[in-house]
Amino acid sequence: MQRKMRGRGVAASWYGIARTATVDRAGAWAELDDGGTAKVVTGVTEIGEGILTVLAQIAAEELGIRPEDVTIGDNDTARSPEAAHAGATRQTYMIGNSVALACREAKSRLFAEIAAHWEVDAGTLVAFDGALKAHGTNLAMTMAEAVDIAKKRGVVPVGAGHFTAHGTGLNPVDGSGAPWQAYVFGTQVAEVEVDTLTGEVQVLGLWAAHDVGRVINPRGVEGQIEGGVVQGLGQALMEDYRTEQGHTTTHGFAKYILPTALDVPEITSVLVEDPDPLSPLGAKGIGEPALVPTAPAIMNAIHDAIGVRIKSLPATPEKVLAAIAEKEARDAAREAAE
Amino acid sequence: MPDMKLELQVNGRKVTRRADPGQRLLDFLRDELNLTGTKEGCGAGECGTCSVFVDGKLVKSCLMPAAKAQGADIQTVEGLARPGDLDVIQKAFHKTGASQCGYCIPGMVMAATSILREAPEASLDEIKERMGGNICRCTGYSKIIEAVALARDVVTGRASPAALDPETVGDSFIGHNVRRLDAPSKVTGRLKYAGDMVMPDMLHMAVLRSPHAHAEILSIDTSEAEAMDGVACVITADDVPGKDGFGVFVHDQPIMARGKVRHVGEAVAAVAAEDVATARRALKKIKVEYRELPGLYDPEDALQPGAPVIHDYAPDNVVKHIPIRKGDIEAGFAAADLILEDEFTTQQVEHAYLEPEAGLAYVDADDVVTVISPSQNITHHRHMLSEIIARPINKVRFIMSPVGGGFGGKEDMIYQGMLALAAMKTYRPVRLVFTREESIIASAKRHPSRVKYRMGLTKEGRITAIKFDMLSDGGAYGMSSEGVMRKAAILSCGPYEVENLQVDTTAVYTNNTPSGAFRTFGGMQAQFATESMIDIAAERLGLDPFEIRRRNMMRAGSLTHTQQKLDSASIGRVLAAAEAASRWEPGAPRMRGPERGDLGGPGTRAPCTLGARFEASKDGKERVA
Ligand code: FES
Ligand code: FES
Repeated sequence: MQRKMRGRGVAASWYGIARTATVDRAGAWAELDDGGTAKVVTGVTEIGEGILTVLAQIAAEELGIRPEDVTIGDNDTARSPEAAHAGATRQTYMIGNSVALACREAKSRLFAEIAAHWEVDAGTLVAFDGALKAHGTNLAMTMAEAVDIAKKRGVVPVGAGHFTAHGTGLNPVDGSGAPWQAYVFGTQVAEVEVDTLTGEVQVLGLWAAHDVGRVINPRGVEGQIEGGVVQGLGQALMEDYRTEQGHTTTHGFAKYILPTALDVPEITSVLVEDPDPLSPLGAKGIGEPALVPTAPAIMNAIHDAIGVRIKSLPATPEKVLAAIAEKEARDAAREAAE
Repeated sequence: MPDMKLELQVNGRKVTRRADPGQRLLDFLRDELNLTGTKEGCGAGECGTCSVFVDGKLVKSCLMPAAKAQGADIQTVEGLARPGDLDVIQKAFHKTGASQCGYCIPGMVMAATSILREAPEASLDEIKERMGGNICRCTGYSKIIEAVALARDVVTGRASPAALDPETVGDSFIGHNVRRLDAPSKVTGRLKYAGDMVMPDMLHMAVLRSPHAHAEILSIDTSEAEAMDGVACVITADDVPGKDGFGVFVHDQPIMARGKVRHVGEAVAAVAAEDVATARRALKKIKVEYRELPGLYDPEDALQPGAPVIHDYAPDNVVKHIPIRKGDIEAGFAAADLILEDEFTTQQVEHAYLEPEAGLAYVDADDVVTVISPSQNITHHRHMLSEIIARPINKVRFIMSPVGGGFGGKEDMIYQGMLALAAMKTYRPVRLVFTREESIIASAKRHPSRVKYRMGLTKEGRITAIKFDMLSDGGAYGMSSEGVMRKAAILSCGPYEVENLQVDTTAVYTNNTPSGAFRTFGGMQAQFATESMIDIAAERLGLDPFEIRRRNMMRAGSLTHTQQKLDSASIGRVLAAAEAASRWEPGAPRMRGPERGDLGGPGTRAPCTLGARFEASKDGKERVA
């Protein structure tokens, strides 16, 4: 074998969106506010994925204003409607849809007033980017003016919405059930180089194709994929929390090795859209699914490169070297036997 | 220690303060000057979140005594741009979407600033090398590196400053790269995480943790600690007024150890004092008598008859077992041309969010017990705390603070209860900030797993049967184990239609650090095994790995492993997309690497030789770098 060996591997995956094997729900309130701005209140938790921006985009689209005109209230159990946890790849799906529904209700209140004011059918009204028009007429005004008119007519354009995902529990004997109403699928290809002298594996390229239903913010989705892939890479090659008789031996980042900028492959994200038919937005999710296929794709690539299968994560240099030695001994024994 | 007078320049202004000479520069900046954009991610020089310029040189302020900064010129992230403004690097981070949770970002911005000051023409490799000391757990670094390169190009005139402007919107905000609304506050260090927040009259908490993996608590004597100057209260399990117990599924974990400890690092008592140093000193005065018990450290041992029992309610040590059955596996294996058997294991994994756990609690004017923390599930925490402190649910309030990374690790209510109890006991605000070491020993990890796999296939590569048996170490408490086992079982056999299967997933109690929720919730452990098996099958049958997957994949109308009928399944589309994007050269996975023609093309980087993790091989002759 040459010192540096390259190979490629693929792995596929699937994942369910929102809480598992139970009904999931989320609620939101929306108000079209002075100046053509909006307040949205919901129990959302921004854990870094960019959900606040996604919700602002959704609210802006639904209300006909701009994302920067949307204020999202802080998550506070005494002030905001329940939208439950940041997990289970559920926030875009559950909270995104509940915000859309709340905004639709607020907008319909506003549109009813403007339609009466203009004496047109509410169905002809369209709003986008802060401008409101009646289709097929020359009638136009800003959303700021529209809110002002609604208020002068005595109406505050508020709305509430909630969204439900109908998962069912599993049968305790055979596990049958419909745990989710929306599924996503993904496939990743990894290209690696293995240094057969040191056992070190580098991932040079990674192609990640994921169905997300409908893309709300492409960069945000890519960011989730890149972050997920690198966490998957960490678990594949280096991360290892260890204990001895219950005492950790990896109590800091000197001992617990994490991927750094130097470990990162070039990542090509391919966003596939198979819209969810059961929700107003069609979007599904990406947070967790992004990392499911990474480690097996890397292990399959290592096999393609050097002919050994690492079945116990992580594939540390020591394990890779041991596996190479074992394979060489096996090959030698086979040759001797032949 | 007597105070010393410290005179230095900070962000262009002269600062004179009396300071404790043992204080770290990091604490001086954060606690004395309220410059909380400088973060503490590790306190040990290993993450870069605390980076500042000292006389123009980038240093990790957690490693530098404040006294050493006497007379120095310090620049922090707050000093890069005028208040309310962003500099070029910050604008580039905003543009590319480089900040996610944001906790590493001030440090990243400082490292990027240092690169462009010292090596304005730095290549991508050099940028990566120089950013190598800064850890980010969220972004996978890609958009951060893109941001630094963009800023470099604008600074050197290779790109127009207009490259930093937002993208123009077409006819919809959906599908559009709207820049993150929270980015400006993250790239400037302005956003306050829980550990950055202060309240008037605030107390500081420190937690006494178990040194034993499994031990009975014979007695706890807190009297000496309570009598100390500056100590406001000491709390133990005895202070819990209601029904003690929390957990994402089973509520088996007390706020603080009750009667016995079940893992190293479990909270036993907590002190609230005027400052952190006093609180930590007081911990040493708490006397706990333990009687060590035999422990369990391997999940297989936990299932042996006569094994020590960790929780009385579960004499068999099983947290949860999930069975799934479909078809007839005997018949399925009988119909197979090839039967493969193998075993796969995965390790425990630390979430390593850059923001260690932190929170504040207070009792407000309406007697509402209020907790501010970066929890991933304040809805559920409110329910649990209301029972634990025996107050009506509207007298318990949780407020979410910005979350500096979670990945599932901040779903467990491992410290909010202690904060609430101390606030109720003192009627003063109380703050707790974990050290990195505390975070690592006290918080949940990804479940390690051992999967015994049996797969039958026809010559054509159709799966006829799967037997899948996963055992996981749940550690000392239930946390999310039940849900993780359920999700692992449901997803186990992958995106394939399998007519005959028998799946079992089991999590057991041991005295190891608890396992809990972690991004994919069991999904990756299970599918690592399945995707490895499929590759082995493709190798044995001489099939291309995409092709074997297509032959088995779910389609519209397929029945999942739990016999749910799918209306649609996009697996065929994502397989085709990955195959095309990677320019995949078809062939069976039989160590084709040496002959492949699709290697090293677009979408790959050159192998890295800079700062390789291995400097030299054992004999010292060969150097990788
Ligand atoms: S390097 Fe200073 S806090 Fe991590
Ligand atoms: S954005 Fe880097 S740690 Fe979260």
